[in-house]
Amino acid sequence: MKKLVVNHGNIKLSYQLLRKMKLTILLLITSVLSCFSAETYSQITKLNVVENNTTLLNIIRTIENQSEFNFFYNEKVNIDRTVSIDMTNKSIYEILDKVLANSTVKYKVIGRQIALYDKNEMEPFLLEVDQDRNISGKVADKSGAPLAGVNVVVTGTTQGTVTDITGNYSIDIPSGSKSLTFSFVGMVPQEIIIGPLTQINVTMVESAIGLNEVVVVGYGTQTKKDVTGSVSQVKTDKLTDFPVSQFSQKLQGQVAGVQINQATGIPGQGMNVRIRGAASINAGNEPLYVVDGFPITGTINDINPDEIESISVLKDASASSLYGSRAANGVVLISTKKGVQGKTKVQFSAYKGLQVVPQKGRPDMMNAQEFAQFQKEYREDQAIFQGTTIPIPSEYQDPSAWAGKGTNWYDVLLRKANIENYSLSLTANKDNLMTSAILGYFNQDGVVINTNFKRLSLRINTEYKINDKLKVGINLAPNLTTDITNGTDGVLWGGGIIQNAILTSPIAPYINDDGTLPLTATSPGLFPNPNWYRVAKERTWNSKSVRVLTNAFIDYEIIKNLHFRSSINGEFGTRKTNFFIPSTSGYIFDPPPRRTEASITTNTYYSWLNENTLTYANTIGGKHNFDVLAGYTAQQYKNPYEYMYGRGFPNDQIKTLNAATVYNLTEDYNEWTLLSFVGRVNYNFNRKYFLSAAIRRDGSSRFGSNNKWGNFPSVSAGWLVSDESFFPQTTALSYLKLRASYGLTGNNNIGNYTYYAAVANTNYVFNSVLSSGKSTTSLGNTDLGWETTAQTDFGLELGLIKDRIFLTYDYYQKTTSDMLYQVNVPQSSGYSSIYTNIGEFKFWGHEFTLTSKNFIGELKWTTDFNITFAKNKVMKLGTQNAPLGGQYDNPSITQVGSPIGMLHGFVFDGIYENQAEFDAAPHHATSAVGTVRYKDISGPNGAPDGIIDNYDTQIIGNPNPKFIFGITNSLSYKNIDLNVVISGSYGNDIMNRTLEYTQNLDAVFNVTKDVAKRWRSPENPGDGLHPTTNTGTPLARYDNSRWVSDGSYLTVKNITLGYILPFKNSAYFEKMRIYCSIQQALVLTKYNGANPEVSSNGSSALYQGIDFTAYPVPRTFTFGVNLNF
Amino acid sequence: MKNKIFILGVIALLATACSKSFLDVPPETFISSSTFFKTEADYEQAVSGAYQSLRDLYGDAYAMGEMRSDNTDYNFKTNDRGGQNIEREDIAGFVDNSSNMFSNGKYYACYRGISRCNAILDRIDGSSISADANSNLGGQTKFLRAFFYFELVQYYGDVPLYVKEVTTQAGTALPRSPKADVYNQIIKDATDAASQLPAVQTEKGRVTQGSAKMLLGYIYMTLQDYAKAETALKDVTTLGYDLMPNYADIFRTANKNNMESIFEVQCMQGTQGVQSNWTYVFIPALINTYVITGKSGNNQSFGGWNIPSFDLIAAYEPGDLRKAGSITNGYTDAGGTFVPSPFTNKFLNPHIEFNNCDDDWIVYRYADALLLLAECLNEETKSSEALPYLNKVRTRAGLANITETNQVALRVIIAKERRVELAFENHRWLDLVRTGKAIEVMSAYGVQIKLRNSYLLSRTYNVTADKLIFPIPFNELLISPLLTQNSGY
Repeated sequence: MKKLVVNHGNIKLSYQLLRKMKLTILLLITSVLSCFSAETYSQITKLNVVENNTTLLNIIRTIENQSEFNFFYNEKVNIDRTVSIDMTNKSIYEILDKVLANSTVKYKVIGRQIALYDKNEMEPFLLEVDQDRNISGKVADKSGAPLAGVNVVVTGTTQGTVTDITGNYSIDIPSGSKSLTFSFVGMVPQEIIIGPLTQINVTMVESAIGLNEVVVVGYGTQTKKDVTGSVSQVKTDKLTDFPVSQFSQKLQGQVAGVQINQATGIPGQGMNVRIRGAASINAGNEPLYVVDGFPITGTINDINPDEIESISVLKDASASSLYGSRAANGVVLISTKKGVQGKTKVQFSAYKGLQVVPQKGRPDMMNAQEFAQFQKEYREDQAIFQGTTIPIPSEYQDPSAWAGKGTNWYDVLLRKANIENYSLSLTANKDNLMTSAILGYFNQDGVVINTNFKRLSLRINTEYKINDKLKVGINLAPNLTTDITNGTDGVLWGGGIIQNAILTSPIAPYINDDGTLPLTATSPGLFPNPNWYRVAKERTWNSKSVRVLTNAFIDYEIIKNLHFRSSINGEFGTRKTNFFIPSTSGYIFDPPPRRTEASITTNTYYSWLNENTLTYANTIGGKHNFDVLAGYTAQQYKNPYEYMYGRGFPNDQIKTLNAATVYNLTEDYNEWTLLSFVGRVNYNFNRKYFLSAAIRRDGSSRFGSNNKWGNFPSVSAGWLVSDESFFPQTTALSYLKLRASYGLTGNNNIGNYTYYAAVANTNYVFNSVLSSGKSTTSLGNTDLGWETTAQTDFGLELGLIKDRIFLTYDYYQKTTSDMLYQVNVPQSSGYSSIYTNIGEFKFWGHEFTLTSKNFIGELKWTTDFNITFAKNKVMKLGTQNAPLGGQYDNPSITQVGSPIGMLHGFVFDGIYENQAEFDAAPHHATSAVGTVRYKDISGPNGAPDGIIDNYDTQIIGNPNPKFIFGITNSLSYKNIDLNVVISGSYGNDIMNRTLEYTQNLDAVFNVTKDVAKRWRSPENPGDGLHPTTNTGTPLARYDNSRWVSDGSYLTVKNITLGYILPFKNSAYFEKMRIYCSIQQALVLTKYNGANPEVSSNGSSALYQGIDFTAYPVPRTFTFGVNLNF
Repeated sequence: MKNKIFILGVIALLATACSKSFLDVPPETFISSSTFFKTEADYEQAVSGAYQSLRDLYGDAYAMGEMRSDNTDYNFKTNDRGGQNIEREDIAGFVDNSSNMFSNGKYYACYRGISRCNAILDRIDGSSISADANSNLGGQTKFLRAFFYFELVQYYGDVPLYVKEVTTQAGTALPRSPKADVYNQIIKDATDAASQLPAVQTEKGRVTQGSAKMLLGYIYMTLQDYAKAETALKDVTTLGYDLMPNYADIFRTANKNNMESIFEVQCMQGTQGVQSNWTYVFIPALINTYVITGKSGNNQSFGGWNIPSFDLIAAYEPGDLRKAGSITNGYTDAGGTFVPSPFTNKFLNPHIEFNNCDDDWIVYRYADALLLLAECLNEETKSSEALPYLNKVRTRAGLANITETNQVALRVIIAKERRVELAFENHRWLDLVRTGKAIEVMSAYGVQIKLRNSYLLSRTYNVTADKLIFPIPFNELLISPLLTQNSGY
């Protein structure tokens, strides 16, 4: 028997509906399909109701929970009346007689329906009606505005329709239909009993934070109320209008505890996602991405965000432990769009926009005149310093001649760029076949010339119900992406085009007066440089990726509530990168003409996963609800890789490798396998006390031969305090749930063959012939295992003012130990390091998520706010606890007792402004008057020794934010909607390593404008920040605190303003919405670089907060349209 | 239907389950040590791998072997003060510290080689390979281990002594052993090598009995055990080596492993990763090297090192044929103008591609053996016996015979002869140290060079006894508490 899920809210609505029909009596209808005769049920059902000083409403709830009874009543019945009752094993009649004694309320039991009515009203009566007929009506929201697109389904079937733009619907119902279910995103679903009606008008109300919302969890779903782990689910419907290529860009600022930074603006790249500060030394920090149950092995960035329906972030161990050895960094479950109950729907959406690089954050380099002045002064100062005459090249002799001339190399690389996206989706659900198909095309030109990202994607999800017991499904999602990246980011010697370009002489032209392009760009005293405009424009660096994700499953109900499900999942991906550097291009120190080179890289991967699970769910004794999962899975991954390189091209005309005369080939192959057993028991008593236990046992090819298998258990519990009888029933405090969890998860990203002692090719030559050589080049470790994270989580969920304000709070504490650690060993052993499991990091934090429905009338305003305070500390490292990094030339240090990846270097203490100051202060061997002064921190004996050297470096900044936050405001008024998403970070430092070059005093680069204020003589000491050019910059180039600045930021990520056009009954479409949106609308930060989210070392926690120059993140203006047919 | 589903499920389980081999995924693109060291071919490859460490060792060996001495210098790059430049200048100016990538690089390269030798020597006696192979391959390996330790002990003093393969983390750290213990191991290995190795190897480039004897000669010379040195070096003279008639021909790539060559690090140009490039390091830093090497390319970031010093140029006697075969005064630029910028032309050979050369590195050659023997005999006060060996070398250089038999005077002559004969071949610094002349010679040289080059800071060329050896790498001390640093660093 299916129990109608009817809550307090919709009973009242039923009432409102009926009242609208001007009935002064209540109509109750029972179905003729009931298994028991109506009277039998009420007579045989025995109930236990023991409540003290509670309300009538609570008694009603208790009875509804224990039985299949449903209560109906109107406002004349005082449900807040206080009653006490102590009856066990009694019939409904006995209980109601007792409860309603001494009141004016009477009751009538008709089958499973119980009507409560005032004794002064007419007694309800029963109607039985049953025939095929048509029902129509109108659906509106609370303000009376029609709701389009509401699903109207005959309950328990796939038969349904959706409301049109005017909110009207019409549906043919077969005989035996009991009720209609109305559902709409963000609204409380309603089940209305059909009875004798032919017209049913419904008022939908916004769901109170959706406690009945279905949350996707590992290996299943749960209602939000039942979840005992820390799971954040994001529905993508609010995020659809973001003009971005990657779903993680949409998630920025949406989920407490999840830090998402866009480290670079390269189209289609650059997102770093860290859940609860996850950090590892070598094993990566990225979460595991699971798409429709399949842990994918390729990049998540290829997936069209429009295909995604919801995203669940599994944060604590109890939520994620079913993913075992891969779950330590958190798990992100992605559910793609499925066909929904209702009629066939076709949707088309499109946007087109323009991206521009904001002025703020652009490097403030000298212009041609300032640069010529600087070069002139440099030589004048050198002449004074050395006491010799130094000729000044003609280019620099008259700086004023350069006024208004020259090249702004940053601007030369930039452009305004187009972005566009088209998405066509079709969903159908008919004859037990549910289909959804989404076709997408995305095209983004980069704001740096010769960069682009394109994606053509298709997803088809189908599910077919063969009969009541057997269901099969097939999903297929191929996509094709192409990108042009061109090596824009990073430091100059790494070839980063942007940094190289800004350091190039502004007096060198990028284009000649006759329109031809110079090969090189330099001026006297500077390094040989190619013309970076040509490098950016003429170099080929293209990738084409094909990726197919597919899965098929069968679900068979062996006996009632016992399901066997088996799935086969496949992933195929290949990425081919073509690189070609013509003779007209080059690198710093290696300008054209140089040799032409080309390469092709092919990286292919295949992965399959077979999962077999048994699930059983049941309720015993009315109150003991449980479900059990047991399963077995196997996954295999293969990754062949080929690299072909050629040079010796006769010219630049043919760019393919066949024109090369000298070749190099590399081939590599990676494989891993994983066998796992999973098990879980969820139990709750009366949906008030919840317990859950789960375990995964993983066997992995990556683990050392002595350590193949690992167990990852977890337990969690929840208590719905607000359902207790002692809990005060006030509207101010309407919901309170407490939960706690503990569990273990692992991180197996330790490399596929790391435990082997590798014997590598170390070839030599004898007799002028290559002699194959082999040497053991790494130390093996057969004990090598996964990293383990033990995590405890305490959560609290609080609903205020009838759940209009909903607060979720989590405290977590986790300890990652047995970290895969490349312990440095003395190189006199012949090896530089050994991989072992050692060390310990501790993480803890507080996460708050607040959702507030500020206005729920005609003007709707919802605010979602989340803030996360996360901390971490290094507890243990290698055997000697030797720090990671922290040499005098290393900007990062990870050491015991401090947070991970602290910024490290000398402490800037000004400039030795004169001889007296120089004599009085400690100095370095290269120090002189006018050079940079650092603090004397320590010496070989642990105390300051008056000498500046390697011992004088220390922690100079903390790249870990004190808190991160996100605020989303959604407003709508009639046809207008407005959505503003803000995300931010506070208290983190950034080291702008670009300053090593952009403020270099060797006069070999262009420099920032403030270098003009450098020390030139004791009489002209400048701003006390920039040292003299006389001695070059030996010490000023080392990492120091002057490069560190506050990286806090608040970014208005997206503003979208939409308008639903007031068409009525259009023959062509149901609904048309137009919108405009600004992405990356505003960045408030004190950081002096381009992007406060920068991380030149990607997601590495050990080397975070370091800026080596990156692709600018553009501001994007778009105009879009959504059409529903 | 129900049964079919179950059968399908069971098949799916069986297909993947319970097979232990499913989780055994050995690497396919490399082998692991547990599957290596089985066949004779494996041992041959392992020995080639040990030789490969020599290539690491000789890439930058000029910095400590020559630039530290009065032989060579560098072209100062005013505008490129990157660490890789400064650290070579520091070595030349005696202001290097324990973080110097060049002195650290030699230390690491030697130990990589030693580790490879240990892996072979630990197993070879218990292996099934033939006795001949065991003797020859084992002999080559022992030579290499002795050679690497000899480099270490000369350049760093006391060093950790690893004679077994390291397989565990615990085994990676050892304290420094006294020099005497290290020398005992070196002598043992070199002596074994001399007895195990054939006089001639089928494949050129492999070390021979002569290589081992030469090594022994050097070892005993360094230990000032002249009698044993004399025996070893005289043995070398009986093994069929002779001088190439023309000095410059020794270094031509057409004459690799010639009759004068005793021990030569092998290189081969091309894409197989075994080429050499010191030619491009030793010429001036140029936007386009075509004017010198005939191949276009830019060596500004790595050229201009190991440049002949004013002092070396002056050291050649008039008429010395070796000067033209060692040093050129400059080059003619693309515009046809001669640019006076001396550099060594010893390694200037035809090659196919920019920065990809075919030059071998000759470590020991017969002229070196003859001069070392002359030095030995002179130290044994058999000065007149020394003269024929000395004069054989001088004769080829087109110089008159020496007749001086005063030990002190002859010592100076032999030292000068070694300097010019072996210039740029990484012998000068160790010769100065061995003969106890380093402080005196380098202090005087420092005064001169500082007068010439205003960019040299006053603290440079402060040559003290501490500076006769190099520091243990800073990071090694950071990792291992068992280690101590050399004084002065």
